[in-house]
Parts: sequence; C-alpha cells; structure tokens
Amino acid sequence: MLFWQILIDGFAISSLYALGATGFALIFGVSGVLNLSHGALMVTAVVAAWAAGNDLHAGPYAGAALGVAVGFAATLLTYFVIVSPLQRTRKIREEEKEIFILTATLLWGIMIQELIAYLYTNNAKTVAPIVQGVVSIVGVRTPSNEIFTAVVCWLVIGLLWLLVNRTRAGKAVLAASMNPRGVTLLGIELSQIYIAVWAIYGLLVGVAGVLLGMFLGVSSYSVGPLTASAFSIVVLGGLGSVSGALIAAYVVGYLETLTAYLISPAYRTIPALLLLVAVMYVRPRGLLGRR
Amino acid sequence: MGSLTTARILIIGLAVVAAASFLPLGVSGYILGLLTIAYYFGVFAMAWDLLFGFAGEVNFGPTFLIGTGAYTAGILDNLYQPPIWLCIAAGALAAVAGGVVLALPALRVRGPYFGLTTLVAVLILQSFVVVDASLTGGEIGLTVPDVITVSDAKNYEIALWFMAVSGAILFSLSRSPVGLILQASGQDAVQAGALGFNVTKHKLAAFIISAFFSGLAGALLVFYFGSASVGTFVDITVGVQIIIAVVLGGRRTILGAVLGSVFIIAMSEALRPIGDLANFVVFAMALVVVLRFPGGFFGLLTRTKENG
Amino acid sequence: MTERAHLEVSGLTKRFGGLVAVKDMSLAVQSGKILGLIGPNGSGKSTVMKLIMGIERPDAGSVRINGTEVAGWPSHKIARMGAGIVFQHSRPLHRQTVLENITLALLPDKLTRLLADPAIDERARAIAARVGLSGVLDRRPGTLPFADLRKIEIAKAIARDPQVLLIDEPFAGLTTRETAAFSDLICELRDDGRAVLLVDHNVKSVARLVDRVLAMYVGERIAEGTADEVMHNETVRRVYLGGSIETAARPESSFRDAATPFLEVKDVSVHYGKAQALENVSIHVHAGEFVAVVGLNGAGKTTLFNTVSGLLPYAGEVRREGATLRGQTAATIARNGIVQCPEGRELFVDMTVRENLDLGGQHLPPAAGAEQIAWLFDLFPILRDRQSQAAGTLSGGEQQMLTIARALMMKPKLLILDEPTLGLAPVILEQLSKALERLRQTTAITVLLGEQNVTFALPHADRVYVLEHARIVWEGEPARFAADMGTGYL
Repeated sequence: MLFWQILIDGFAISSLYALGATGFALIFGVSGVLNLSHGALMVTAVVAAWAAGNDLHAGPYAGAALGVAVGFAATLLTYFVIVSPLQRTRKIREEEKEIFILTATLLWGIMIQELIAYLYTNNAKTVAPIVQGVVSIVGVRTPSNEIFTAVVCWLVIGLLWLLVNRTRAGKAVLAASMNPRGVTLLGIELSQIYIAVWAIYGLLVGVAGVLLGMFLGVSSYSVGPLTASAFSIVVLGGLGSVSGALIAAYVVGYLETLTAYLISPAYRTIPALLLLVAVMYVRPRGLLGRR
Repeated sequence: MGSLTTARILIIGLAVVAAASFLPLGVSGYILGLLTIAYYFGVFAMAWDLLFGFAGEVNFGPTFLIGTGAYTAGILDNLYQPPIWLCIAAGALAAVAGGVVLALPALRVRGPYFGLTTLVAVLILQSFVVVDASLTGGEIGLTVPDVITVSDAKNYEIALWFMAVSGAILFSLSRSPVGLILQASGQDAVQAGALGFNVTKHKLAAFIISAFFSGLAGALLVFYFGSASVGTFVDITVGVQIIIAVVLGGRRTILGAVLGSVFIIAMSEALRPIGDLANFVVFAMALVVVLRFPGGFFGLLTRTKENG
Repeated sequence: MTERAHLEVSGLTKRFGGLVAVKDMSLAVQSGKILGLIGPNGSGKSTVMKLIMGIERPDAGSVRINGTEVAGWPSHKIARMGAGIVFQHSRPLHRQTVLENITLALLPDKLTRLLADPAIDERARAIAARVGLSGVLDRRPGTLPFADLRKIEIAKAIARDPQVLLIDEPFAGLTTRETAAFSDLICELRDDGRAVLLVDHNVKSVARLVDRVLAMYVGERIAEGTADEVMHNETVRRVYLGGSIETAARPESSFRDAATPFLEVKDVSVHYGKAQALENVSIHVHAGEFVAVVGLNGAGKTTLFNTVSGLLPYAGEVRREGATLRGQTAATIARNGIVQCPEGRELFVDMTVRENLDLGGQHLPPAAGAEQIAWLFDLFPILRDRQSQAAGTLSGGEQQMLTIARALMMKPKLLILDEPTLGLAPVILEQLSKALERLRQTTAITVLLGEQNVTFALPHADRVYVLEHARIVWEGEPARFAADMGTGYL
C-alpha cells in the first residue's frame, strides 16, 4: 500500500520538478545563464493565481490563466531588465559576467520574495485546483488533482519536445545551444532566439508554478528551496542537458518522497542536497553533462 | 612604493578607529548597538572580499562558515559552559574545518559550479540546524548562558577593535607578496602555475583565512547577542547582504567592505519606518549598483582604469 | 665535449577525446641553442609547449629537464625545476602595475612572505630596465601599448631565470624595429646558456635566430634540420604549399561590374586588444569572380573575413554593391547573401547532416529547399550517403564538404571560404577542388577564398591577394604570383 502511495505521490511531485527544471536547463543550455530568481518567478505565478481567486474572485481557470500570464511577464521582465543588460555591458570583464548574472538574479529573486512577503504576507497560499475530487488507483486514494498535475506536466514537456525537434524554429534553438556562432553564420539572429527561449521559459515557469500552487501550495519562503531544487536537479542531470534534467528530476522527486514517508517530512530536502554534494565531489559533470 | 602606501593607509585607518572609539561618550546605546553589529558585519564582508577579490572564488554562502562558527561556539557553551574564549576559539576552528570542506570541490570545479556548492552548503547547514532542534534550538534559536558583557560601550569597543585588528591583518595580507600571489591565483591560475606558484595551496590558504575570520566574528556575535538563530547566522539573505556590502564598497579593496557594511546597516535603519519593505529597498539599491556601477563606491572614488 | 641536453622530449603524445593533437613527438635542445618548432594552426606545436610546461598532461612520452623526468608534473613544479614559458598572448595581471607584475615572477612559492623584500624590488627594477620598461613601472597594463605588454612577458621570463625557455610566437603583432629588439633579447638569453624552444608559424620570421628547425604537421614531426634545409624540404613544401601550380584565370576586365565591384573593402583596420590584426587593407571582388587571399597563419585572413561578415568592429569601409555594410548585424549580412564557411566550420555536431543542411535552408520555401539539397547531394555525393549521421562523426573532409554545402543552402551571392583545406588529406583536396571547379563553371557564384595552401588556391583564382602580417603586400594574376612570390613564400 505504502509502496503504491510513494510511487504515485513521487511521480506527481517529480513531474512538477521536471517541468520547472526543464525550463531552467533550457535557459542554461541556450544562453548560458543560471537564473537564481527561478523560484521567485514560480512563486510570483502562484501568488498571482491565488490573488485572482482571493481578491478578484475569479474562477479556477481564470485564476490559473492569470497566474501563467504573470509568471510569463515576470520572466521576460527578468530577461530584459537584468540578464540582457548584463550580457551586453562593457563595464564588466567577460570572465566576471557569469558571476555578476548569478549575483544579480539572486538579488532580484530575493527582492521579489521580500515584495511578495510585504504585499501578501509570508503565509502559505494554495490555489483552487481546477480538478477536484478523489480517485482510487490500485487501492490508493489519490486526489485527482495529482493526476491532473502529472498529466499536464508531461503534456507540456511533450509539446516542448515537439517544438524543439520538429519545428524549424525549435531546431534553430537547439542549434543555438550547440553553437551560437554557427547559427549567426546561417543568418539567424541570436537575439531573437534568446527572446524566444526566455518566452518559452516564462510559460514553463508559469505553468509549473500554478500547478505547484494547486498541488502543494507555496509561501514566500518557498523561493529559496524552489531555486535550490531546480539547480540541484539541473546540476545532477548535467548542466546543459535537458534529458539529464528530466531523469534527475525523478531521482530527486522520489528521494524526497521516500524521505518524507519513511523518515520524516521535516527531512525531505536533505538527501537530495547530500546527493548533490556527493556528485559535485565525484563527478561534477553530472549524469549527462556536456559543459 | 607599495608598502609605503600600505603603512600610510594603516595609520590613517588607526586614526579613524581611534576617533571612532570616542563615540560612546556622546552617542546613545541604541546607535552603539547598531554600529557594533555593523563592525562584526564588516569583518564578515572583509573575509568574503579576501576570498573573492583575491582568490577569485565567489562564495554565495558565507553564512555557512559564519553559521558553523557561531553555532559551534553557542552549542559548546550550552552543553559544557567552558570559558567564553574557549567557545570562541572552538567556533573559529570549526569554521576553518568548514572552509577546508568547502575548498575541496572549489579546487576541482570551475566558476558557477562552485558558487552553487556554496549555496547548497548553507541549505544543508540550515536543514541540519532546524532538524536537530534539541541540540541547536531549531527554528526558534539557541540561547547561550553567557555573554561577554552587558555594557553597550564595552561591546562597542570590543567590536570596533576586533574589526580594526582583523582589517589591519586582512588588508596587510592583501598588499603583501602573498596577497600578490593570491591575486595571480585568482586572476590567471595557468599563468600563476607557469610562474611556479602552487595555486591549490594558496587558494586553500585563502579559504582557511576567510573561514577563520568569518567563524571568529560569528562566534563573538553569538556572545554579543546572547543567542543564535538560523535567520541571523545561517540565512542566504544574510549571505547576500554580505556580498552586497562588498560590491557596494568596492570589491578587492578589503576596506571598501567595511564602508559597505556600515552603509547597509545604516540604510536598513534609516528605512525602518517603511517596515518590511526596508530589505526590498536595500536590495533594489544593490541591484542598481550591480547593474550600473559594478566598481562600487571605491571604484567611483578611484576610477582605476584597468581595461585595455 | 658533448653537452648534456637541457631539454629532451621523446615519444610525447596527447589526445583530446578522439583527436590526436600530438603524436610521438621527440626533440632535444642543448644549452645555448635555439630550436624553432614550426607548424600551421592545428599542427600541435602549442600543445607540445603546454605539455613540456605541465599545463597539459601528456598521455605518453617523456620530458626531461637537465636529466630529470618531469612529464606529468604540475606546472608549478616544472617551473621551479627551471622551465619558463612566454605565452603567445600577453597575460599580465590587469589590476597590478608593471612593477608588481615583474615582482610576482621573482617571488618564491611561500605562504609566509608578508613583508616586501627590497632586494626583490631592486632586481625587478633592473630587469625592467633591461627590457626597456623603466618609464612605465607604475602604470597598469591596460594603459600600455602592445609592444610593452610583450616586454612584460619577456621580463617575467627573465625574472624566472629559467634554464629551459619556451617562447610562443614571439613576433606576432610587432613592427620590424620591435621584432629586431626582441630578437636581440632572445639571443642574449640564449647566450646566457639557456636552451630555447621557439614556436612559430613560418620559418622565415625566425630563420635569423634559430640554430635548427623542426617542422610539424597534424601533430607529427615531418622534417628537421637547419632553417634552409627545412625551407627546401620536399614534404614541408608539399604540405605547406602543395606541388606545382597551374592557373586558369579569367581577366578582370571580363567582369561587368568594373565601376562598382560587388564587394569593396577599403582601408580597413582591425585591432584585437592592442595587437593590430589588419592594417589599411583594401581588396575588391567582382560579381562572379573567384578571388584568393593567400597568406600564412596569423597573417589576418580570418580577421578580414570576419570583418566582411560583420562579426568584428573595424575602421574603414566595407561596401556591397556600393552600399555600406556597417551597422548591419552579422545574421543580416549572411541572410542577404554573404555567407562564410569559417575555419572552425562551426557545424552543429550533435545534429545529423540532413538537419545541418535544413538549417542552412531555413529561409527557403520547402520546395526550393528540397531542390537545393538535391543539387548539393549531386555536388557532394558522400553527403547523401551520410545524411542521417551526426555531423560530429564525419571525417574532416566530409565535415568540410558539409560546411560548404550548408553555406550553399543559403544560395549565397558571395561565398567566403576560410582555409577549407586545413588538416585535410590530399585525396580530399582533390574532391574539394573538383567541387569548386564545378561551382565556378556552372554557377554565377562569387567566391572569396582564404588559403595558405597556394597549390590548392591558385588554379581556381581569377585574382590573388597576398596578406602578410596584417597588410596586403601583393596583388595580381595567379600566373604572375608563381613568378614573383614562389620561393620567398615559406
């Protein structure tokens, strides 16, 4: 019984992690940016959806849509205001830019966290789920919402895969992640590719955030752990490898679920962090890393 | 040429510190308290600048080192009540051990990987502190039975002179031949190796020194507050504030870190009326500096042209 | 009396993944002698230096300094054993003054040095005086001219007082006068009794200095002897220049856009940091013409092409059909018909051949794209056979063909080819040559070809430019080239 419960719960949370981590990995793979405001952007989406329900009395669908839209907008804002200016500036040496972008996105993320705490307090918030009710799988009573979450995550990941591997624009993005210079030589503007990638990331963040809000709920305190789990997964899977991130998401998701059920929910984040440290020591490249 | 300026700067610094030591005569206990915290924070920041500005390692989790020192000292005092200086020494040593642990992956991986490791280190320490509540006081925090002194003036003087001595040591180090080798190790490890310098050895030394001062200051701070909590010592936000202090003041100057620290504490205080938004504003200011004036305060002052 | 060689290398091998960068390399340099290690880009000569210095670890082989085996040691230990290196690109510490940079090289590897040593300060000043830097001791490298930066590198080397000195391309970017001054310094260092290994692209620039020359190609040694012997060595000439030269040029007057050539480059100058990569370079290309820009590595061909493609900032004018290209993004210039096949190929290695080609045909409607691919498969049949293979798994020659095919997918008006034959076997060169010939005969395409392999380039060229040390030194018909430049080229 417990086994099935862990299997199902773990699958749902892993799928959610996979969606968020895919976006994080995509941004790093194509534009080389480790966005440390990732968690903050997800929480922004959730809070927007929550506020839609709470303040505007919108229905679950409208609330979700608003959440995704706000998450999308916040992500693009991050690109245009923080990341892009830093990438282009001449005041900082090239070797130091990575660090400045890390610091700036970290700062930005914390700013958003403080703002949310100020405007909406740091209490936990959940978003009204689109799918209600309980379903019985293999004898385990599972909220239908969990199934919905997993399904939507995989739908979006599937769409992303189709986009990248089957459309012309998608292949250009993939090519840019392999060789930006090559893409320019073929007459494709890199700046447009970056905007496209951040836009996709914005959608992923918005959807993942809203789903998380419906599934577990968030508070402004979730910002740090969400970013941490995203980059843990991406580092475990290998920086730059989206498929690696997918696999690692499930490793981390199940580790957390197992810990929560078998040891204690309070310890749930620890094993994944320890695994990350071990990987850093032993195989910094990660499972399928390229860079 | 170099040492003359160093000596001159140290003398000017001594004069400033001496002047500052007269403040308790005319200033309220509340402000003295703020400055005391600012001075300890200044040591955190200077230790960070040594590691970053010189050894070139970005430590996103200075609070890992600080927290290790602080909690070791605090827990020791709670359990066995040894003399305070022993707890503080133990804290500093524990932080050094933590620094070595952090150094090992740093010396094997590049740039962003190391930054991420440091962030993760803080999160792990946080988790352990929260989970092991019986020992550490968990989320509520730890209270220690002893404090160094209850006098505002005495605490102020201790903090001030501790910062002055730490600053003098760190600054002299940065200007010394060893400091030059450290800079080379951080800026161009391949060249440093080709010139015959064991980069690993020097970076490890930088970690140990940075950890020592961070842990020492953290332990002292515990015995100033009389308590320790995750929110003050093992927080990512505090770590970011340290980084901001250094960036604001000017990286690679050591002394700029102190300016930045005082500025941040003063700012947070000045913004107190707007309540919880204070942090937000400080961070926003820091963001603007990072985006527009990466050289910080010292950078604006001196306008050194390094770029070709 | 037989001198024990200061530096002995034998069987040195280094692999990077599947690529063998250095294969079974052996050399020896006696004290008081200079050995020149010559080779084009990709020949492995810089890797050999890095292996000796411990910056890279060899996979096999031995490196002995004064009889002590140092292969596999970390670079700081090898440095303390008495080896020193002057890197090709100046790498001073930008935040330190010139004096501090030189002082650094004099410091021992100790953690306990906290006070500055006046004796070291004096030595640093003396060394600075020897190389001519006394006037700029308190300045930061960012404010100094290129030659001074090179002087800092030499000063650091002198400070280390090495018995084995490795110097990588010492004269790149220097004027004739500066080159002479540097040569004298190097000779002084040699006369002190050191063993000097000098690495460069061509024999000519170091012929004066060296006692012996060793030529490398694709990781292996192909000849050794005096400078003269190597310059006239059959294998070396074949590899660098190819064999005898036939030409089939169309006269310039036969091209119709005489007044406004398709591409005009006027007085273009480009700087990389402080080094001058192009100096007042002017060339023009008529529509339909095949123009070859011939020059050795480091001459500036790639810089010239990158300037035309809009990838670099420059002074001067680049005009296409009379209208300036300044201000257009690189992608726009490519989309509008000036397409480059760069030296590094820049293929999407994890994508298939077909996918690479499709990306080239991004801007074409699907039907036109399919037609173009069919034509390209006809031009390069091997690509049809390999179309589902990942580009990274192709051989060097096949990759080059893919690069050209991918560029041709864009239906370019001007095709720029940067060193297409680099590192390729003669058999592949034949195939490439035939393909180029077909292009020339059956299409109206304009080609700008950059090559150091003169035998490959000349049969296709209508006109030739020679680029040497950032300047155009010769222009004219291919037939005259053989007569004018021939022997003096290497």
